[in-house]
Amino acid sequence: MKRIFDAVILLPRNLLVLLLRGYRAVVSPLYGDVCRYYPSCSQYALEAVQEHGATVGSALAAARVCRCHPWAAGGVDDIPRRRRFRYRVTPFGFVVGATRKV
Amino acid sequence: MDPISTVLWPIKWAIELILVSFHTLWTAVGLDPAAGITWVLSIVGLVIIVRAALIPIFVKQIRSQRKMLEVAPQLKKIQDKYKGKRDQFSREAMSRETMELYKRTGTNPLASCLPLLLQMPIFFGLFSVLNDAQHAKVGVGFLNEKLAEQFGNASLFGIAPLHDTFVNTDTAAVRIIAAVMVVLMTGSQFITQLQIMAKNMSPEAKNSPTYRQQRILLYLLPLVFAFSGVTFPLGVMFYWLTSNFWTMGQQFLVIRNMPTPGSDAAKAREARLAKKGKLPKNAAPEEEAAAVEAPKPVQRQQPVGKNRAKKAGVKK
Repeated sequence: MKRIFDAVILLPRNLLVLLLRGYRAVVSPLYGDVCRYYPSCSQYALEAVQEHGATVGSALAAARVCRCHPWAAGGVDDIPRRRRFRYRVTPFGFVVGATRKV
Repeated sequence: MDPISTVLWPIKWAIELILVSFHTLWTAVGLDPAAGITWVLSIVGLVIIVRAALIPIFVKQIRSQRKMLEVAPQLKKIQDKYKGKRDQFSREAMSRETMELYKRTGTNPLASCLPLLLQMPIFFGLFSVLNDAQHAKVGVGFLNEKLAEQFGNASLFGIAPLHDTFVNTDTAAVRIIAAVMVVLMTGSQFITQLQIMAKNMSPEAKNSPTYRQQRILLYLLPLVFAFSGVTFPLGVMFYWLTSNFWTMGQQFLVIRNMPTPGSDAAKAREARLAKKGKLPKNAAPEEEAAAVEAPKPVQRQQPVGKNRAKKAGVKK
């Protein structure tokens, strides 16, 4: 029951994860190294969506892209960490319900 | 209005303004207002405006790339610290430290993401403007009923309608033009990419995973273009093609005159300048530094049995 619940709750962010993985595989290499920050904007978007979900994560990512303009100093800019992250991230990047306590 | 068209509205408005301005210009010069070539040239004008607006950003990037020479020793220190370490954590730490250095010294050589992503809505805006014009739908701003109809009916050489795509056309001319454009587009993108990768990358950059990915993509690109080439209207393709040509030319000039320090292109430029006897003074210390760091092999040479050593010797 809980697993189905998790899957439904996590569906929107996992769809975005898939989209972002596709972008990072196909579009990112076209541009080469472009981003003035570490992690790069697309990496940031991926982590933000994984950790904060589709809505908050997208907003965080959009704000970050707006910060990544030619007059920005750049530098290290990590995503705000959640105090408690209840899920697990697969090697591909999908977010799944934690199977065991970590 | 749905959210996407709300976002696209101002972009479409600006695109129409530029298109119509150029159309008026070309008509004033004496071109037939309803001819396809007039509209194609208007699209070319649009590309020129968009790309010219991006030049200051580009120049700024080049400037900070030059300033990179000043922080080269510090950069070298970081690179030496992580030399030969290929694992993910070392790479991450190295990127972090490098970015930190760029920030501290104000020498970030990277282009930033926003301008690149902003070009996508322009592309979709043009797509949407052309699509609307195809149905002789009035635009959101300057593209009035008469112009929209003209644009919608415009055909190149009088036979290839600009709104047609390879897939939905009945005319062979559209297919031929689209095919030629796909070839040109693939070619120009290929050359641009190859120029950057073969000449304008420092040895460190060539070791990154992005580089490997880029190499794979280089050979996948023709497929991508072939796919988009058959589904996009000719008008949109003209935008893309002109933009590609612009990038290629810009890239050529930059690689020739302001190459990335440490890349093959930079060495070629130094050689060119030395031939003319115009080598700048500050180029010398950089070479010295390169000479000093040469030794120090990272991996221990594996011991080899006598027989194998002999075999290897023969091979050479």
